[in-house]
Amino acid sequence: MNADVLIIGGGIQGCATAYHLARAGASVILLEKDYIARHASGVNAGGVRLLGRDMAEVPLSRAAIQMWQELDDTLQGDTGFRPTGLINIAVDQADLDKLHARQNLMQAAGYTHEHIIDRDELLARLPHVNPACVGGVRSDLDGHAIPYKATNAFRLAAERHGARVLDSCELHALRRVGTRWLADSTAGRIEAATMVNCAGAWADRIALMIGDNVPLSHAAPMLMITARMPQFAGPVVGAVSRQFSFKQFENGTVLIGGGAKGFADRANNATRLDYAKLAEAARTTVEFFPIMARAAINRMWAGLEAYMPDNLPVIGPAVNAERAFHAFGFSAHGFQMGPVVGQVMADLVLTGRTDFDLTPFRIDRYDRKVL
Amino acid sequence: MAHDCVIVGAGPAGMAAALTLADHGVRPLVLDRAARPGGQIYRAASASPLPDRSVLGADYAAGAELITAYTASGADHRAEADVWHVGADGKILFSTDGGTCQAEAREILLCPGALERPMPIPGWTLPGVMTAGAAQVMLKSDAVVAEGAVFAGSGPLLYLIVAQYLRLGVKVAALVDTTPRDNYLRAAPLLAGALRVPSMLTKGLSLLHEIRQAGIPVFRWASDLQVLGQDRARGLRFVTPKGAQEIAADTVFLHHGVTPNPNMTRALGVQHDWNPDQLCWHVRRDPFGQSTLAHVSVAGDGGAIVGAEGAQCEGRLAALNMLCRLGRIDRATRDHLARADLTRLKRLAGVRRFIDRLYRPQAALRVPQCPDTLVCRCEERSLGDLRAGFDAGARDPNALKSLTRCGMGPCQGRQCGPIVSQLLADWRDEPVSEVGYYRLRSPQRLLSLQELSRFNRVHPAPEEAQ
Ligand SMILES: Cc1cc2nc3c(=O)[nH]c(=O)nc-3n(C[C@H](O)[C@H](O)[C@H](O)COP(=O)(O)OP(=O)(O)OC[C@H]3O[C@@H](n4cnc5c(N)ncnc54)[C@H](O)[C@@H]3O)c2cc1C
Ligand SMILES: Cc1cc2nc3c(=O)[nH]c(=O)nc-3n(C[C@H](O)[C@H](O)[C@H](O)COP(=O)(O)OP(=O)(O)OC[C@H]3O[C@@H](n4cnc5c(N)ncnc54)[C@H](O)[C@@H]3O)c2cc1C
Repeated sequence: MNADVLIIGGGIQGCATAYHLARAGASVILLEKDYIARHASGVNAGGVRLLGRDMAEVPLSRAAIQMWQELDDTLQGDTGFRPTGLINIAVDQADLDKLHARQNLMQAAGYTHEHIIDRDELLARLPHVNPACVGGVRSDLDGHAIPYKATNAFRLAAERHGARVLDSCELHALRRVGTRWLADSTAGRIEAATMVNCAGAWADRIALMIGDNVPLSHAAPMLMITARMPQFAGPVVGAVSRQFSFKQFENGTVLIGGGAKGFADRANNATRLDYAKLAEAARTTVEFFPIMARAAINRMWAGLEAYMPDNLPVIGPAVNAERAFHAFGFSAHGFQMGPVVGQVMADLVLTGRTDFDLTPFRIDRYDRKVL
Repeated sequence: MAHDCVIVGAGPAGMAAALTLADHGVRPLVLDRAARPGGQIYRAASASPLPDRSVLGADYAAGAELITAYTASGADHRAEADVWHVGADGKILFSTDGGTCQAEAREILLCPGALERPMPIPGWTLPGVMTAGAAQVMLKSDAVVAEGAVFAGSGPLLYLIVAQYLRLGVKVAALVDTTPRDNYLRAAPLLAGALRVPSMLTKGLSLLHEIRQAGIPVFRWASDLQVLGQDRARGLRFVTPKGAQEIAADTVFLHHGVTPNPNMTRALGVQHDWNPDQLCWHVRRDPFGQSTLAHVSVAGDGGAIVGAEGAQCEGRLAALNMLCRLGRIDRATRDHLARADLTRLKRLAGVRRFIDRLYRPQAALRVPQCPDTLVCRCEERSLGDLRAGFDAGARDPNALKSLTRCGMGPCQGRQCGPIVSQLLADWRDEPVSEVGYYRLRSPQRLLSLQELSRFNRVHPAPEEAQ
């Protein structure tokens, strides 16, 4: 099999990259070892969050949030995106101080999408919040989507533009011969001029195949979802300084996240849950939203996610190989960035450049210059 | 709480295992969500609300003896202890008195029993439609019956509950038997094997005889079942070789066999294999019931359908093996003590093969035939919804679940799981074994957030002095 571009990984980054490339006319093969969106991209919390992003990520994330607003139309699909807004709760003065300090930074950079709110506004927007909370910060463009649907929508759109998506197909080995990448996969030999590594929690292994070392780690953030409850919260809810996050979907179910981690067993494609930590998350949830004491947990799960030491992704060209690019290490907030990352990767592959400053995301930013 | 052995489920399998363990000085912790030990077959056998429990049959009465022996065995039985997580690390979380407790075990024996195979005919989710097993649970636990009900399906349990109803003088509108005519031919060659345990066959035959004697309408070779009614069941329509039939009834009981309850063993991650004879997943085990996780054994209908007697044999065998693993008996002793049960199981397997072949459910009753028939009751997903999901690229049960929400509801896929795997196998034109099953997780059922929020890691108690 032959293609212009070979993409490794059928998560949202791989599928969005395939979509943007195929739409621009490139011939694309995407390999996914399991099935599309089997891992982080299909099981994440669906948070489409611009609020509180690291300053380095804000430009990409802002572009992405604009793309999300029209994504269903763009892809002619159903991503489940709902622009409900997002509120991060401040529990004390220290939290508010933090928010104001950030506000100054944001203003200096010309960003205006984060709005600090006082206690009255917080209570008006979230009537069920614990009244001891002192305020918060909101962003109105944010919201949530259905992870599997969104990723699959990119995949289907990519396929409509001619991309070949192979699932149950693992990349085993990859090497550069002359001007071609030769890949050994479950489906046999594949040749391509360009390679894009979107292999999520496995991306360091793909990077290694082409000579790029990267301090990637992986972990298994956990989620739990309740049975249906009466509607009590419109916006996605987070906290300024606590491990706490939830959103209520239209069907009444409440998804509780917050970042507590289970056990990641990458070699076996599996995760295990840490119930003591989930219990802690349950406590925090009830503390912030006493109404949640009545909730019944329906399911609990975890997904394998790739982390960089600075919690920023790797996005950009390989440093030790020609015609190879990376997009991975999204550190538990890459779902929101998917649409723009696909665009950036397509631009890099097709034109060698992008409108965004990718310096903070270089793969070699941790290379030691001295022993 | 650190234990040598924790048993989940106090049905015939769990109770028999506990007795064997107790004989050798190991006092297991036994967790069961029911109010009393007994499991499905002996539900409430020690405290029947019925004035005369003999209507339930001699087997049921025999259960009382097993329960008495079990109760006297010294096993640490916890009633109303609902297990919601069993971990590969040997930790078990269960709800009791509104709180979650954690137990820890060197050896774990899972005896969660069976579930009834869903029969997704049009209208199967209407109020008034229940499983025959539910009829039996109501009868055994609460002495409640439904007058004038239709019973439809096939298999020994269906005939048993009909007979129990008739003995109580409850009016039964009809028995609609869906056992296909071909099954008799196919099962015939296995009859010799079944005759090695003649008592089982006579029991079955006498049930059918009893039903015929009672003079209720019995329709054989029925197919194309459909529950009548808009907002609740009003009757059953079906086709027999004599033509289309309709029977009015406010209650329709459906049943066509049982399959192992997969949720606990699936969430635990032990290996399962598709069994084409029983049309269900079996837990992969050695002859002593040891699963692919050495410290976890599975006995009874929760591993493969073996029936109440087989469940007891398996319970005892698993107990012997765990005793050996705990160093209480040596291998030679284990093997010696195991002989009788291994032999008996082999004989029972002959009967089981015959029953499985004879009452093999119709393919057309195992998966829905109409696009608007619901597959997932919790999330209200129909055959048509699933087909659309499949056409949108979701070829794996988990992908289909992510896309359509089928199987995401509180029953944790217990109802729709087998249907979805079969549908995907049909659509992909591959065996069910290739398609696989939902990736399940704990909790096994809805868990209150309040309860979870109160849970604290319980540190194991210091080892008891040996
Ligand atoms: C529980 C959880 C909650 C989260 N919540 C949010 C949230 O609310 N908002 C947000 O923005 N982000 C969230 N995230 C993060 C987000 O899900 C991820 O950052 C994002 O999905 C990463 O996408 P990806 O395509 O890089 O990786 P993945 O989705 O992991 O895709 C990588 C794919 O590559 C495949 N692959 C690997 N190796 C090979 C190989 N050799 N051959 C073929 N295929 C291979 C894998 O099977 C995998 O499917 C969450 C993550 C988790 C786990
Ligand atoms: C509804 C129904 C009715 C049946 N009636 C009969 C009958 O009348 N006659 C007959 O011969 N066979 C009957 N069977 C078949 C029956 O499965 C076997 O005959 C026999 O009871 C199997 O024994 P077992 O020990 O394997 O499982 P069971 O007897 O089913 O025992 C399993 C036990 O595990 C407990 N349990 C399961 N999950 C959990 C959990 N998460 N936490 C705590 N406890 C748990 C249950 O409460 C139950 O007590 C019935 C099956 C079903 C499904």
